[in-house]
Amino acid sequence: MCGIAGILYKHARDDQDTGKALIDMLDGCQHRGPDSTGFALYGEPEGDRTRLRFFVGEGAEARAAIDKIRDTLEQHQARIVEDETIGNNYRAVVDFHGDLQRLSYDLEHAAKVISIGRSLEIVKDVGGAHDVDDVYAVEGFNGTHGLGHVRLATESDVKPEAAHPFWATGFSDIAIVHNGQITNYWKMRRRLERRGFEFNTDNDSELIAVYLADKLSQGVALREALRTSIEDLDGTFSFLVSTKDEIGYAKDRLAAKPMIMVENDELIAIASEEVSLNRLFPGQALNTSEPPPGTYNTWSRRDLGAPQDMAAAG
Amino acid sequence: MAQIDLSRTSVREANEQIRKWGEEGEDVEVLNPDAKHHIGVGLVVPEDLSVTVKIQGSAGYFCGGLSDGARFEVERNVGWGLGDNIYNGTVIVGGNAGAIPGVAIRGAEIVIKGNMGSRAGQVMKAGTLCCLGNANFMAGYMMYGGRIIILGDSGERVGEDMTHGDIYVAGKVQSLGSDAVMGDIAGEELDSVREFLDRHEIAFTGSFQKVVNAGKRLRYATSERQMRSIPFMSFSGASDYWNPKVQEDVYIKSQIGRYRVRGYGGARELPHTPDLAFRTAIDPARIDPDVVSKVAMATEIGGLNGANPLTLSMPVMIAPMSYGALSASTKQAIGMASTLSGIAENTGEGGMSDAQRGAAKQLIFQMLGGRLGWNIHDMRRADGLEIYISQGAKPGFGGQLMAKKVTKELARIRGIPEGIDLRSPSRHPDILGADDLVIKVEELREATGYRLPVSVKLGAGRVRDDIKIATKDGFDFIELDGMQGSTGAGSAEVAEYVGIPTVAAIIEAIDALNEIGRRDDIQIVLMGGLRDGIDAVKALCLGADAVAFGTSTIVAGGCIACMQCHVGQCVTGIATQDPEHEQRYKPSLEAQNIHRFLESVRWQIAAITAALGHDDVRQLSRDDLVALTPEAAAVTRLPYEPERRDGSAGIAMTAG
Repeated sequence: MCGIAGILYKHARDDQDTGKALIDMLDGCQHRGPDSTGFALYGEPEGDRTRLRFFVGEGAEARAAIDKIRDTLEQHQARIVEDETIGNNYRAVVDFHGDLQRLSYDLEHAAKVISIGRSLEIVKDVGGAHDVDDVYAVEGFNGTHGLGHVRLATESDVKPEAAHPFWATGFSDIAIVHNGQITNYWKMRRRLERRGFEFNTDNDSELIAVYLADKLSQGVALREALRTSIEDLDGTFSFLVSTKDEIGYAKDRLAAKPMIMVENDELIAIASEEVSLNRLFPGQALNTSEPPPGTYNTWSRRDLGAPQDMAAAG
Repeated sequence: MAQIDLSRTSVREANEQIRKWGEEGEDVEVLNPDAKHHIGVGLVVPEDLSVTVKIQGSAGYFCGGLSDGARFEVERNVGWGLGDNIYNGTVIVGGNAGAIPGVAIRGAEIVIKGNMGSRAGQVMKAGTLCCLGNANFMAGYMMYGGRIIILGDSGERVGEDMTHGDIYVAGKVQSLGSDAVMGDIAGEELDSVREFLDRHEIAFTGSFQKVVNAGKRLRYATSERQMRSIPFMSFSGASDYWNPKVQEDVYIKSQIGRYRVRGYGGARELPHTPDLAFRTAIDPARIDPDVVSKVAMATEIGGLNGANPLTLSMPVMIAPMSYGALSASTKQAIGMASTLSGIAENTGEGGMSDAQRGAAKQLIFQMLGGRLGWNIHDMRRADGLEIYISQGAKPGFGGQLMAKKVTKELARIRGIPEGIDLRSPSRHPDILGADDLVIKVEELREATGYRLPVSVKLGAGRVRDDIKIATKDGFDFIELDGMQGSTGAGSAEVAEYVGIPTVAAIIEAIDALNEIGRRDDIQIVLMGGLRDGIDAVKALCLGADAVAFGTSTIVAGGCIACMQCHVGQCVTGIATQDPEHEQRYKPSLEAQNIHRFLESVRWQIAAITAALGHDDVRQLSRDDLVALTPEAAAVTRLPYEPERRDGSAGIAMTAG
């Protein structure tokens, strides 16, 4: 029940104003979701170091949570290179070469993990795009691509961990944002749980993240995973997914949720409403397009802007 | 030409200014529109004037929606719902349009120079929607009339479930929708299309194919038969495995070979108000004959967010019932009675008749997914607006109005072809989630200058979530309708077996509001099988701010409860559109009967409230109730006191 945004700069430079672009896009569609705002931001990796973010709260609660996180990292021989607390987050950069999924699940049991990845950092909290920026300095983030989300809380509470984007727990660098409602949530969730996946919320959007991560971990290409998602997921959805070097979208077969995009040689930008795209190109006439129902597509930094055909599912 | 800059002025202020200029015939240029929603919504231009609104850039959702007589020129693209429900006028879009352009238009000329999004012209009634580029899927979905001209390709499933109207496609017809076929184009039709293109300076010389309705699904293959049936009241009595009701059901299915459509609601035993009793024994002998003047009952509904509230002399309203299901005379009588008793009437689906508007001092105008009878002019003369999501008797389903009742006059008001079995859409074209609903509520407020309360009618289903969403989305009040509610025509299985009982619904609703700490931010009007003042007080005790009566109102006004409402041959002249039958109904006489019933309700509310030790209905609370059955106690969490089954729960109806 929300607004979504995504942007990918096609050329392989990591100094684009990704943070600022996403703040502008989300500010444009904040009316779709005033309760919380979130960003999935991708920068160049620092060697093979892993970036972790957690919700830890404040004061004594935060200190206890950070201690538990440090213990868990130590048990997994993850060496902390740098760490800090920002807002209600604890952020750490570690050297780690073990099994990321096992580490993630152990960390999940110790604290509230927001994201883990070599390129990815997720920043999300209650409030509008500028409120979140004030605390977490999103505007200064330069990177290659990212996703954003504004949330109108309906069925569940307004709290930071219910905000999007969702990280695909256990799978480095994969994030999603979603507008809509997955109606076969429990059926799909139980199917994945039986195979050992863990869920941290009852939010249907988390399912999409885990579903895609599962496919990718089996060696399925992102495009193929998006194709099968349209067949496997019931309900209304327009969602965006990002990996370390690509973004993609999928849209349900009734196109019940809006999505509009604009593409040029430099970038591809996708949003719920044109108002978000206009923020990127003030005063310019945009040749926007609306993806047809039941379609998906991906764009990769590796492709250096080579356009791909829109693929129809099913 | 006047100018307005949306980088400096809010859409709300801009629209107020545009409406003012519109009345004076002043053209407007809108600068920096930045794809904002609701630009030009509610603009009504007097017939002898012309107004052009030039939008210098892109517009968002519902651009030019709910307007009449204006010309809109949008330089670039538009979002969803372009020209929503336009009565008359012109819209020219330089770029592309998002989903559902021309939704529910009643007559307008819309030209989109680029491509247009999915479900173009959904539930449109008249006018022309023209797209120079390609259409996306399901163009003409559920259209009732008018024409769509597509110079590019048609998109998939063009004409899906269309009822009437024409779709001309110059490019490729990619695939036909359900019940759509290719039709022949007559010479004069083509002339008319060419004339339209010339008038809008669209150079096009190619040829067209035409998509029309195939006519296979406009009516049920077999119609309901009128028959002698058992009266509803005995019908609903016993609930055994085999009984006359089951027998009748089987008999009807043997005649029509499908599910049965009938009037009235479910009749199964469910925990309901008779399973609750008042905690204090009420002695009728000790009731002050003048109790009505001693208990504060006046209630305002809908004013919490600054709209003009409905002012009710007691916490009671008339439940939504349509002109269509009921005759114009019946709606008039109910309107008169509502005025006599100082409460509010509701149009239900299908539009507002002049007689009803004249009779009811306070009238809520209901908007459903088919937008049947929905228009800016009646919105402006309403006292409240209501978005219908569903109803208690058939949550999740649309209304049914059988062909016999879809007369010429009724078809005109609703904007549909006459003589079809009208199955109203169960979903709104532009409300597919809570986020869309926020934007729709805002459009209705824009169109009526934020003057009218906007409510939502919810059939009890997923109550906890729905109530939270309704509160979140800024409605002024909720009409919550439980499973015991009735309908003019619905599937018997649905009425009996689908939904959440009324008492359970109000409990879950109040729980939901308490969970999010917003009990005081919204009002709830409860309905669904509430019959009299005793039920009303019980509902108020459980947390409702007011109640609404449908069935009781009709019965008070002469209904014999034969359940044949759907047939259209109502012997009392209530549920019919046949002038001969309607003649039997005497509006002023029945208005008095309904009024007397409502006054008995007033007396009961006052008498019970006073007997419980209060002098204001707002003092009623859960502490005033107990449960008589284990089931009711479990549903309500009220104390279980079976010893009170002695009848002290009731109170004689002694009002004059």
